[in-house]
Amino acid sequence: MKIGFFPLLVSLLPCSAGAVDLTWSGFGTVGYAQSDQPYKYQRFIDDQGTFMRDSILGAQLDVKFNPEWGATVQARLAPSAENDSAWAATMSWAFVSWRPQDDWLIRVGKLRLPLMLNTENRDVGATYEFARLPIEVYSIAPTTDVVGLSVSKTWLTGRFDWTLEGYTGKMPTYWRYYQRDVGVNSQNPGSYFVELDVKSSGLVLTARDIDNVFRIGVHEVEATRVGDTSHADIPYRPLAPGIGFYDIEGARRIDKMIIPVQTLGASVLLPGDFRVTGEYARIKVDSSSQGLTRWGAYLAVSRQFGDWTPYVYYAKMKSPDDVLERYKAINGNRVPPLPPPYDATRINQSQKLAADILSPYDQWTAALGTSYRLTPTSVLKAEWSHTRSGVVSSFIDAPSGSDSSDRHINVFSLSYSFTF
Amino acid sequence: MRKGTLALLILLLVDSLGAADDPVVLIAYPGLPKADQPSIQRLYTGRIVSVGQQSAVPVNLPAGHPVRQQFLETILGQDEGQYTGYWLVRRYVGKGAPPQELRDVDEVLRYVSETPGGVAYVPASRVPAGANVIFRR
Repeated sequence: MKIGFFPLLVSLLPCSAGAVDLTWSGFGTVGYAQSDQPYKYQRFIDDQGTFMRDSILGAQLDVKFNPEWGATVQARLAPSAENDSAWAATMSWAFVSWRPQDDWLIRVGKLRLPLMLNTENRDVGATYEFARLPIEVYSIAPTTDVVGLSVSKTWLTGRFDWTLEGYTGKMPTYWRYYQRDVGVNSQNPGSYFVELDVKSSGLVLTARDIDNVFRIGVHEVEATRVGDTSHADIPYRPLAPGIGFYDIEGARRIDKMIIPVQTLGASVLLPGDFRVTGEYARIKVDSSSQGLTRWGAYLAVSRQFGDWTPYVYYAKMKSPDDVLERYKAINGNRVPPLPPPYDATRINQSQKLAADILSPYDQWTAALGTSYRLTPTSVLKAEWSHTRSGVVSSFIDAPSGSDSSDRHINVFSLSYSFTF
Repeated sequence: MRKGTLALLILLLVDSLGAADDPVVLIAYPGLPKADQPSIQRLYTGRIVSVGQQSAVPVNLPAGHPVRQQFLETILGQDEGQYTGYWLVRRYVGKGAPPQELRDVDEVLRYVSETPGGVAYVPASRVPAGANVIFRR
């Protein structure tokens, strides 16, 4: 975001210098993850081990001008969203808040959206017990941040606080693709990032008491590719009976994609101090990357024993069956040697590229882990997870000449999260 | 070292014995109306910023202070870990920072007497004559 945006907002505030209350805080995670496979999973994790998947450092400044007016800025240093080998310093939040009455909160600026239960605090590992939030659910929303407006109204009832929050805003973001054999613009395999301008609006209802939280949300995202149009589909071109190819270059073009997203979540404290947390999200994407259409869900059980909180969870995400079938058809499609002007070698290479562009998901993860609270603001976490892909998973950077189907990945994670 | 530890234990024991006979009360800047316990709980957890339509600015004593521990346990129904954890999440979901922390009871008393909207908890025995007590269990 542009540097001048936040000072402009602050300059609009009615305040006297003597009344301003500034509070600095910082947070971070040093996280190590290693799998038992030579290929990358979730961008960074392989059998060589990495600190890049989970490590992050951030700082936050909360400014209170008076009981009604405040501002928050949060910056972070983390692996780049547009480059697999770089780190980037970014502004996560920069907003001004106005609370004219107890039950109204209006925020303007760069905001993190209330999507899943831990989306807003996902960078701050000390605020939740999982070593890593289940990617099957937390990856679904096309963007988690916008520059815009949020208005929330709270009803304080006997037990629950009910909050209805509406937001709208826009933000550039990046979608990552991984090409196994040949890239879109090169003959080399690897990842590449597509820049999109995203407008997002939504309405979220949250009910919360001291021990429990329930949330439901509906969101609509409008995504436009920066400097280009998007492919609407990957049509099949028959050449002869039983012979044809999926054409990634001759596809119909669209200016923008309208993407509906629905979210649902609950975290409930049960008798015996067991906590059950479940979340569900789904998204529909009408483009050549129709595999991004998917649902994800997880169910977790944890229990606190003093400073220890062991947990287990099972998570799953899946694109629609017809999309997975289409992936199999494209991925397995081959043409025999063809007379000019056709180039069979090039067509066959393009079929895997087309399958990768489809970007479908079909995987589940079971995880067993624990957190250990060193202090109320610092925590050690350890986790073992087992992920298994079905037809395909676009979280797996499949080696050249193969694909990501039926992969078994064990990931061991160890992290230390802190705030100060 | 052992003498120091013993002295600390005695101090904590005296504090805890004193706490039973010296309940925590909530005082506020003159004019702020009386509040009930749910309102105090909401004020100290950032869910409301006013009492009786008047702006309120609560302050805390530092973590670990025996009066703060007594306030958390008897008024908010939480321990230090729960309260700190609550604000940890609330701060990092962008819903504000916890109440300002002042060094000791003397500083708290001075703050409340000088700050419009100021609210604080103190031991009943330290309430100055004529102070505005807005909540007492």
